[in-house]
Amino acid sequence: MRAWALWFLFFLGAWAQGGLTSPPPDLSPEVFAIARELRCPVCQGESAAESNSGVAVEMRRLIAEMLGEGKTKDEIKAFFVERYGEWILYEPPKRGVTLWVWLLPVLGLILLGLGLFAYFRPKKPLPPELLEEAERRLKEPQ
Amino acid sequence: MGSSVRNWLWLLLVLALGGLFYWGMKRNPKELPSVLAKERRPAPDFTLPLLPPYREEWGEALRLSDYLGKKPIVLNFWASWCYPACYEEAPVLEATWRRYKDQVLFVGINTQDKEGEALRFIQQFGLTFPQVFDPRGRVGVDYGMYGVPETFLIDGEGRVRVRHAGAIDQASLEGYLKEVLP
Repeated sequence: MRAWALWFLFFLGAWAQGGLTSPPPDLSPEVFAIARELRCPVCQGESAAESNSGVAVEMRRLIAEMLGEGKTKDEIKAFFVERYGEWILYEPPKRGVTLWVWLLPVLGLILLGLGLFAYFRPKKPLPPELLEEAERRLKEPQ
Repeated sequence: MGSSVRNWLWLLLVLALGGLFYWGMKRNPKELPSVLAKERRPAPDFTLPLLPPYREEWGEALRLSDYLGKKPIVLNFWASWCYPACYEEAPVLEATWRRYKDQVLFVGINTQDKEGEALRFIQQFGLTFPQVFDPRGRVGVDYGMYGVPETFLIDGEGRVRVRHAGAIDQASLEGYLKEVLP
């Protein structure tokens, strides 16, 4: 019985989640896919797909209209970049200065890998003359 | 590579990262660029219905291009729900409009608002410069507006020169007007 109740609660939670993330029926999921890549201008860290502020709602309506006119995703994103600058894009473009944002983590990982490799590399055996010297000293009377 | 050179390189790296961090922390995340003002782009045109009290003098709708390129224009985006910023700047805008109405056109764009509440706001401050109604806020997107209140100054050639975000004060507004007035 308890197990059933647990399962029920689990699915209840999953069901609630599904309801939140699926878009309202009046706009196509494609609209939200594009809006997710655009910043909501008046929000902090929210995309135009998540926010319910007036601007974000209007942005989604604009996207839906432009899709209806047969515009492509890139053309729609360009429309917003034209007005707000590249700031409006959630992901910085992979060129120019912002290319570094994409490259630096990879470079960092490579450096870290090299460092770890150097640290854990099997040590070279000590040169024979040094070993002999050590042995000789050990045998020496104190 | 000598170990002292290596130590210096490490120190330099740490200093460079520290400097980058400091620079990042000093930046104001609210200071957002206006593409229009930075590139002095021609002001995006719009045609919006005027709110009822202004129809007698200005007509049913206001088309910005009818006024562009004649004299400078102050374009103010506002909403009655924008408290307190819009309430702070409304008297400043009205007073400045009365003083400069021969040289500059002021246009208020009521954004994402309800007509009744917009009219109450207008009555409260006795606004006499033309007010247009944009309940969906589409013109705001064309101007790259972040949030109300925002004020744009358009020069005599019809190009956007200044974008002021937040409530505008007398001194800033007069300063901007000096920039766009001949």
